[in-house]
Amino acid sequence: MTPAEIGATHAPGHAPHGDRAHAHAEEYQPVFTGAARAELDALLTRYPTRMAALLPALWIVQRERGWVSEGAMTEVAHVLELTPAYVKGVVTFYTMYHQHPVGRYFVQVCTTSPCGACGAEDVVRAFLEHTGTRELGVTSPDGKFTVIEVECLGACGFATPVMVNDEFHESVTADRVQDILSKLE
Amino acid sequence: MATLTVNGTDVTVRDGATILDAARQIGIDVPTLCWYPTLPIVGNCRVCLVSVEGSAKLLPACATTAADGMKVTTESYAAVENRRGVLGMLLERYPAERIDERGAQNEFERMVKRYGVSVENRSGLPLRAGDDRAGDPMIQHDMSTCILCTRCVRACADIQVVGVLDVAYRGDHAEIIVGADGNPEHAGCTWCGECVRVCPTGAIHDVLPLAKFARDAMQKPATSVRSVCPYCGVGCQLDLEVRGTDVVRVNSPWIEEATPNMGSTCVKGRFGTDFVLHRDRLTTPLIRKGWVKRDGRWRYEGDPADVKRWGRRGGPWRDIEGESNTQKSRPRINPLRRLPTVGGPLGDPRDRVATPADWYEPFREGTWEEAMEIVAQELTRLRDSHGSDSLAVFCSAKCSNEENYVLQRLFRAGIGTNNVDHCTRLCHSSSVSAMQRAMNTSAASGSMREVECESDVIFLLGANTTESHPVFGAALKRAQRRGAKLIVADPRRIELAQRADIHLQMLPGTDVALLNAMLHHVIHLGLHDQAFIRERTHGFDEVARAVEPYTPERAETISGIPAHLIRRAAELYARGPRSSTLWAMGLTQHRTGTDIVASLLNLILATGMIGRWGAAMLPIRGQNNVQGASDVGAIPMVYTDYQPVTDPSIRHRFAQAWGVPDERLSLTPGLKVTQIVTKGSPVRGMYIMGENPIISDPDVAHAEEWFLGLEFLAVHDLFLTETARYADVVLPGASFAEKDGTYVNTERRVQLARKAIPAPGAARGDLEILLELSNRIGLPTPFSTAADVMEEIASVTPSWRGITHARLQETGGLQYPVEHATHPGTAFLFADRFPTADGKATLVPVEFLPPAELPDEEFPFWMNTGRQLYHWHTGTMTRRSQGLDSREPVPTVELSPADAAEMGVRDGDAVRITSRRNSIEIAVRLSPRVARHQVFVPMHYREAAANLLTNPALDPYAHIPEFKVCAVRIEPVAPGRHRALSVERIEPLVPAD
Ligand code: SF4
Ligand code: SF4
Ligand code: FES
Ligand code: FES
Repeated sequence: MTPAEIGATHAPGHAPHGDRAHAHAEEYQPVFTGAARAELDALLTRYPTRMAALLPALWIVQRERGWVSEGAMTEVAHVLELTPAYVKGVVTFYTMYHQHPVGRYFVQVCTTSPCGACGAEDVVRAFLEHTGTRELGVTSPDGKFTVIEVECLGACGFATPVMVNDEFHESVTADRVQDILSKLE
Repeated sequence: MATLTVNGTDVTVRDGATILDAARQIGIDVPTLCWYPTLPIVGNCRVCLVSVEGSAKLLPACATTAADGMKVTTESYAAVENRRGVLGMLLERYPAERIDERGAQNEFERMVKRYGVSVENRSGLPLRAGDDRAGDPMIQHDMSTCILCTRCVRACADIQVVGVLDVAYRGDHAEIIVGADGNPEHAGCTWCGECVRVCPTGAIHDVLPLAKFARDAMQKPATSVRSVCPYCGVGCQLDLEVRGTDVVRVNSPWIEEATPNMGSTCVKGRFGTDFVLHRDRLTTPLIRKGWVKRDGRWRYEGDPADVKRWGRRGGPWRDIEGESNTQKSRPRINPLRRLPTVGGPLGDPRDRVATPADWYEPFREGTWEEAMEIVAQELTRLRDSHGSDSLAVFCSAKCSNEENYVLQRLFRAGIGTNNVDHCTRLCHSSSVSAMQRAMNTSAASGSMREVECESDVIFLLGANTTESHPVFGAALKRAQRRGAKLIVADPRRIELAQRADIHLQMLPGTDVALLNAMLHHVIHLGLHDQAFIRERTHGFDEVARAVEPYTPERAETISGIPAHLIRRAAELYARGPRSSTLWAMGLTQHRTGTDIVASLLNLILATGMIGRWGAAMLPIRGQNNVQGASDVGAIPMVYTDYQPVTDPSIRHRFAQAWGVPDERLSLTPGLKVTQIVTKGSPVRGMYIMGENPIISDPDVAHAEEWFLGLEFLAVHDLFLTETARYADVVLPGASFAEKDGTYVNTERRVQLARKAIPAPGAARGDLEILLELSNRIGLPTPFSTAADVMEEIASVTPSWRGITHARLQETGGLQYPVEHATHPGTAFLFADRFPTADGKATLVPVEFLPPAELPDEEFPFWMNTGRQLYHWHTGTMTRRSQGLDSREPVPTVELSPADAAEMGVRDGDAVRITSRRNSIEIAVRLSPRVARHQVFVPMHYREAAANLLTNPALDPYAHIPEFKVCAVRIEPVAPGRHRALSVERIEPLVPAD
């Protein structure tokens, strides 16, 4: 059975993009169409089972949408012939998949003990202040930033490391924060 | 084999058995939480750890293979201390106070008590959370008591093969979730309740008992009574939990392996038995007003005004036609987009679909004495004045073997007619006629467990097993997961078709073309079993000649199935090595039903896919006792065990057994259901037990009219059904839970159901009613209990010779033939011969004939009818079950999205479906399961009765009507009434492994 067949054979309301299930809610737009679909199909050729492509498939979703919604989890489940609950189990197991929308810039600050000893707390505070997010995990009113604390980023010698999306900053101190932010659109 | 010692006792176990298996084998109870029979072993809870000599660590009994010479101590100091520790940790996140407050109430709490773990001084960690299914009408979650054993996750994924549940989040946030968004429907839940069954703490629990019964009723001591599910032919064994005089819930803990279900049920079995306690139950005999007794005789002297208004047996109601044609009103809320809470805004379903008050109006309450007098008097009067054949009886596929036997005995010996039939006529009669002709048999050759565990290829035709026989449907999904290949032939893309390796999606009624072409291709490739054909069959050459013109290409033009799929299916099936063949109404309910089944039997016989373990022939039976009712003679042409009524020597034997002169028993085969209910039939009086022909017969408007013309009608049922409202006398019978009796499932397994509660009010056990009636019309009955009746059945039924209630109780069911008192029953048949004179089966050439009515310009759609998951036949029981009815409250037609778009109708719109016979108004459910220009209408709803539309064209051999095909036209009703009904329902999800 091909995924296309599966997609085609379910009641429309069943798929996350159904016109019935969410008649009142916003219509879900599937991720895996066009180029994203082609990318996934290419990925699938590299894995022994469809299930094995789950993490990369979720990455594609996150790249396209910025986060992984429940609807998207269900879509991924359909495409990979898994159950929605299983996909959610995986999504919620990892911290790197966002289950809520986040700012355009996702700031991760290491606060594990070594960095903590070198002033990570101050770095965090500075980010919260200068991004205007005020609270960890909250997105700034302009939709630009979300700041979270993370465990060891593997750069303990260069405390405090900060990741802004995929960009890595070493040896960040509270007074460098504004400088980092100012370079962002 | 390994021999080990457990707590000092030697025990020998099979290879691969675990320490737990060994302990259980000798009755040692090792506590377990995450382990559960048949579930994959995960070994994550660690309460089953035991000491094994020579091992420094404790070992999990559930996950350690027993080895030769092991010395195991299950309650060693270390093991017990460890167990306490584990239980103590689980209690950290458990509302432990309640154990002290109200005692141990579930498996986990009992274990806590057993090991004396203190529930005090808990650390005050927050209780667990999780998806809760709030407002669900049948199943809800209270995840504060979840101990994360994951039994529910595995039960749903591995037993039911659905996969609604899983564990999400990590560490101490881990919790059980329902699908991705908490909505069970979006995750394909079928409400089977398997998760309820396995949960050791009641974190997942059923709603009904708590919602329906007062607290103190639930406090009464509970007893458990073994019974058989009253719905489909799988014949699941259930444990009814009885408190006082109520069945408060259905439990089915692990039930030993001899049962067809091993404790599983579907939604109907687990949550659909509350009809038993429905307030509509008849509690006293009803007598049509106007029956009066003068000079010792009852006469009908109805009020002329009433008779003028309603006819001799009518009433102040709208007939089925009238109801189906009326506008459907809009429910106050969408019944399905929000799951209705019990007692919530949807209200009590009893008020929406139950017996309307005015149906009772033409009746008065009577006494049993009056009712029985009238029935006996009228039956004998008609017999004496118009001859025995002016009377007919419908037995019931829902009643026990004993009751059906006594009823057919009553009519054959007491009245002297063979006009005895039941609804098998409308379901598998064509299978029976084809199987009789080919191999003189009338039942399945194999077993369900055999198909699940042994078959390499499963060929399923015209059977929506996951909805109509869900427990067997799950078994088929498990079989596929084990590696069996699945071929599904069905015009609809049902769940199993979606999962199948090959789906042969044909136009309705073109099965002969498909099957002949498959055989053509098999012969063409030389894949037929020549030795089997030579030694065990006749007629192959003629059939080979007959299928010669049926090339796959020709079949493609007839059936619409691509020729290459036909070829692939034929090869897969014939290569087996062990292929099982399963079919149901999709093949049989055609005017060519017998031919269709015959062409399938040809394929089975030519490839030798019968008579070997793993190669089963299994017509899947619809009702819990349709097999049994036929077996005990509730069909017109045979006595028990299919012994023909036309044979004088057989007649002699029965006359002797029943203590009547030979001449009393007629040698003429009786009329069949479809011959009785038809214009010009000689029948003037009827007795109907537990059937509802006014919904189930084809072209019901005419059937209803026919019933109006009867001179006398007695109906014996639980409710005042659509049929019963036309009766002169209505006798209140007992439900399955209120009587002892045996039922035969689809694999010939005779099973015993026990009486759990008394019948309500003055309602009486059906057997009791029939025995009294028999005696009143002058046919003495030498028995008083169902067990006695079974003795007589066994004495006149060779293949049931060894069956007694005592043995059934002991064994949990026997598959006939059971030849003598110690015979273990027969799991599969025809290993070396068929039960024909020379032991050989016969292939019969058949030609394709199209359905009687094909779409044309005026009626451009094919209409198909059948069952839904949540309802049952004429809805008499399921529509009075709160949970079931709330899942499927309104009649819907499945229409393909493309057709709907063309017509401009949307999901939930009301449409009018019209056939050459009649017309109904019904709501649309968009469903890609149906092909274009085909629609599917469920048969359960009197307010949109599918059978008003169906074509009464009959199969010439079995007289089964063509329920599955008729031509219809579909029109949106006035646009202002669009979205009159909302009908979201989503087909089960199809995850892959
Ligand atoms: S499908 Fe059955 S086992 Fe799975 S969640 Fe639904 S009711 Fe529970
Ligand atoms: S809900 Fe019940 S069965 Fe499921 S993990 Fe929790 S305790 Fe176990
Ligand atoms: S502790 Fe901060 S990077 Fe390792
Ligand atoms: S029962 Fe053995 S580890 Fe859970």
